[in-house]
Amino acid sequence: MLRSAFPLVSHLPPRKPPPIRPARPPPVRPYASSAARPSPPPASAYVHLPFCRKRCLYCDFPIVALGSSSSSSPVDGEGNDPRIADYVRLLLREVAATRPVSNDGVPLETVFFGGGTPSLVPPSLVAAVLDALRGKFGLSASPEVSIEMDPGTFDAAKLRELVGLGVNRVSLGVQAFQDDLLRACGRAHGLREVHDAVGIVTACEGLQNWSMDLISSLPHQTEEMWEESLRCTVDARPTHVSVYDLQIEQGTKFGQLYTPGVHPLPSETDSANLYKIASKWLSEAGYNHYEISSYCKTGYECKHNVTYWQNRSFYAFGLGSASYINGVRFSRPRRMKEYADWVQKLEIGAWSHEPDSAGMKDMAMDVVMLSLRTAWGLDLRSFSKSFGKSLTISLCNTFRPFVESGLVIVMDMERRALQPSDFKVDLQYEGEIGSKVAFIRLSDPDGFLLSNELISLAFGVIAP
Amino acid sequence: MAGAAALRRSARRVIRPDEYTFSRTLQHAERLLSSQASPDRGGVLGSELGLYPPERIRNFSIIAHVDHGKSTLADRLLELTGTIKKGHGQPQYLDKLQVERERGITVKAQTATMFYRHAPDESDAPNYLINLIDTPGHVDFSYEVSRSLAACQGALLVVDAAQGVQAQTIANFYLAFESNLSIIPVINKIDQPTADPDNVKAQLKRLFDIDPSEALLTSAKTGQGLSQVLPAVIERIPSPPGKCDSPVRMLLLDSYYDEYKGVICHVAIVDGALHKGDKIASAATGRTYEVLDVGIMHPELTPTGVLYTGQVGYVISGMRSTKEARIGDTLHQAKSTVEPLPGFKPARHMVFSGLYPADGSDFDTLSHAIEKLTCNDASVSVTKETSTALGMGFRCGFLGLLHMDVFHQRLEQEHGAQVISTIPTVPYIFEYGDGSKVQVENPATLASNPGQRIAACWEPTVIATIIIPSEYVGPVIMLCSERRGVQQEYTFIDAQRALLKYQLPLREIIVDFYNELKSITSGYATFDYEDSEYQQSDLVKMDILLNGQPVDAMATIVHNQKAQRVGRELVEKLKKFIERQMFEITIQAAIGSKVIARETLSAMRKNVLAKCYGGDITRKKKLLEKQKEGKKRMKRVGSVDIPQEAFHEILKVSNVK
Repeated sequence: MLRSAFPLVSHLPPRKPPPIRPARPPPVRPYASSAARPSPPPASAYVHLPFCRKRCLYCDFPIVALGSSSSSSPVDGEGNDPRIADYVRLLLREVAATRPVSNDGVPLETVFFGGGTPSLVPPSLVAAVLDALRGKFGLSASPEVSIEMDPGTFDAAKLRELVGLGVNRVSLGVQAFQDDLLRACGRAHGLREVHDAVGIVTACEGLQNWSMDLISSLPHQTEEMWEESLRCTVDARPTHVSVYDLQIEQGTKFGQLYTPGVHPLPSETDSANLYKIASKWLSEAGYNHYEISSYCKTGYECKHNVTYWQNRSFYAFGLGSASYINGVRFSRPRRMKEYADWVQKLEIGAWSHEPDSAGMKDMAMDVVMLSLRTAWGLDLRSFSKSFGKSLTISLCNTFRPFVESGLVIVMDMERRALQPSDFKVDLQYEGEIGSKVAFIRLSDPDGFLLSNELISLAFGVIAP
Repeated sequence: MAGAAALRRSARRVIRPDEYTFSRTLQHAERLLSSQASPDRGGVLGSELGLYPPERIRNFSIIAHVDHGKSTLADRLLELTGTIKKGHGQPQYLDKLQVERERGITVKAQTATMFYRHAPDESDAPNYLINLIDTPGHVDFSYEVSRSLAACQGALLVVDAAQGVQAQTIANFYLAFESNLSIIPVINKIDQPTADPDNVKAQLKRLFDIDPSEALLTSAKTGQGLSQVLPAVIERIPSPPGKCDSPVRMLLLDSYYDEYKGVICHVAIVDGALHKGDKIASAATGRTYEVLDVGIMHPELTPTGVLYTGQVGYVISGMRSTKEARIGDTLHQAKSTVEPLPGFKPARHMVFSGLYPADGSDFDTLSHAIEKLTCNDASVSVTKETSTALGMGFRCGFLGLLHMDVFHQRLEQEHGAQVISTIPTVPYIFEYGDGSKVQVENPATLASNPGQRIAACWEPTVIATIIIPSEYVGPVIMLCSERRGVQQEYTFIDAQRALLKYQLPLREIIVDFYNELKSITSGYATFDYEDSEYQQSDLVKMDILLNGQPVDAMATIVHNQKAQRVGRELVEKLKKFIERQMFEITIQAAIGSKVIARETLSAMRKNVLAKCYGGDITRKKKLLEKQKEGKKRMKRVGSVDIPQEAFHEILKVSNVK
């Protein structure tokens, strides 16, 4: 078990009891795509709402910048933009044209409105999408319905309206608690809007579950600034915190301006340090570090994202969005015109999710890559059943030096950490995989920090 | 002398434009090969060859500093005599070059026979048979340049009218001069606006004591002055000496392997005559062969059934491999004893290096490529070896650094083999306490902590001759003493130029000595060397260790006094080229169990992709796959991944001062 699941410091309990509160983290499920068993139909849907006031300087997502109209009321300024309504119409057409994977009526357990800045979309249009999803796939009795919201794009009324529609989780895109940094990122809001937004969210009746997004390793960001942001975050008491390490992407403004590890970006060591500070502070504040960049109060994992980490299938709708259905990953066109053309094809039946026989190697790589991002780690027994014992043993052998150096942690069925020596013995044991060592995970923070290295090592074992 | 020639080539090699020469030469050769029967190429039947006694034969070569117009001049002479057709376009040659390359190195044969009617105005003017014996390309990488000159009695010394005498002009001049060749100075490219033939004449006078009136002024481009060239060849170059009545004796100039015909030898007939069906023997191997085909290169192989005294042509005699055809060997009438012609020396491999596939899985490709290549370059020795760091590979012996470089290049270009080579080394001799001796061609094979005491070690040396403008004497003396040289001679050859002779350990000059020499003398130094004795030296084996594990492919043998410095530079270089890994890496240089240099590469701190947004994992997966591929290209010692560049980079420090 994660140490932070039983916080020693429990002076910051959730303000209100969460609606659903599993005693343990979600169990590691059989992998949806494993050839050994048919993948269960999707119970999650991602909906992309791409509109932003302007593009942040680090962003390379498929977004539509509406242009500056921030002087107008945050509620209806952009809300009347015809491009939004047009897009939502297109989105509804996509939903309508999508065939449910199952006829048994597996209802959606999670819906995630991501962006872009979904909070720029008028609640009435969000309602239309939710209604369409409900009509098409059904919603479970208590689904998790998340929406991303940016400071400065909503007021209390708008949020109340959204909650009234069934939205029960908000992901607030704060990113930093310093005006200078927000400006340097090209964010469309300042610190004042951040505080206002936090106030609105925390005061909202009927909304217990909300997340704060932060970005570390921003240009000119100091350790002090980062600690300040973490302090403000903890003070705001979100149930969930996402800490993203800034990625410098090609084709972005930041890509032109900065080189990773080179001033004004923090050095590799400093950047690693920011990550460690977040891990330490948030853990001490009672958050579980359940995935490389995700922290939550017990029971407040983002169920939608957990779908991804557990390699389960999910629907996706909208510009540039990626779905995973019947073992096939598909990314929709990132340009509006092409997306519109694609929706049309879908409607006339000229496009379908061909059940592509993704190779076993690819599946094994997906499973390793996704599960090692999480604190739950890789379920060796399940992996062995799906992909074979010899591959599992090779994988374990590859990780052995890192178990010894502490980057990788081995755990038994009860999720108790084992000594490296136990691991060695277990590997030599001829019997069933997982007789003693049942899970391996990357350590927090050192193993998580080197996840790319460790996962690519595993890739080298799976597909030499 | 084998070593000297090798170094001479090494020396030339480091001047970049030589590669250009090489490719030009290939084109040139291609031109020769591609020219089919020309209408006026005269009779070449065996009976007609008999019409050319030695006094009607001239054998010459063209020597020049790179880019002074040697190839163009050769082309013009061949056109002038109708040997090749005029106006063969360059692009065609390039296309064919590709084909030639695929076939191997058959292009390296550069001898052409021309027929020329001297003084055509007179009705009874005699015809001459003129052989242009060139060693282009060859000059760079085959092992006996002077052997080709040995078949000549004269040389055209071509000098660019604008650039004047250059370093290579001097080296080439002395090469020809030492071979007792008649030298015809040709001041070429006189059409250039900056041409200054009078100045060049003065230089020739001053440097070589050449009478200014002897110089021919030409432009191979416009054709100006070209008509004087062959008359000068006939008038000023003596006919080949040789006894027509003696049993046949010939010098083997070159050989190559042809898939259909087998080994084709280029020979210069010194005495007697060679007929198809004759039995000949090799002075070097004692083996006998029957002459299956004999003829001239006119310019392609043209059978004549016979070659007479003084003539130059080809022989096909059923040799199975070019290893049997040793360049410089004397072939002679079987069952007769002859005095071997001067020139034969077995190839001495003075530079050894391990060659490994850059991608571990490519061993078979490399093996195949080496096999094919050595088919036409018998001067490379090849034995299999295994390295813990690099896997299976080959230990190859070369005549010099250039030879090695060209071999690499051809492996990569012609055979698509990607090669990692280990630090070149020279053959050392180690003597143990019990009196037993070993020759060490691979430092890794020498025990780091030998059970027995090493009583003594020896290393090969050379006598180097360096000619430089006098203002550079100081820095050159400094360089030589840094390289452990011992001065033998220091004289002035004229008011401006000094001659230095040094005995230098071969190890000190095999990698970058000539580069260094050129750079401190603004390119004016000419440098040559000949093999000398082994000398006793205080040598030690230096290991490179990564996290305590020795990297066998990086072991070197160094002079004790230099070990510290070399070790320091090596570990520093490695620290730069080995990437940070998930654990700390110590990089050490050690002699026996004593660590003499150490660097620590701290562990990587962070390599994480935080975002995995909206379930779109494909991009992230691609990145990780790319990372995986990157790891695959690394060589692993223990748990440490070493990038291939590290192996290349340490070559550069291996010869640190």
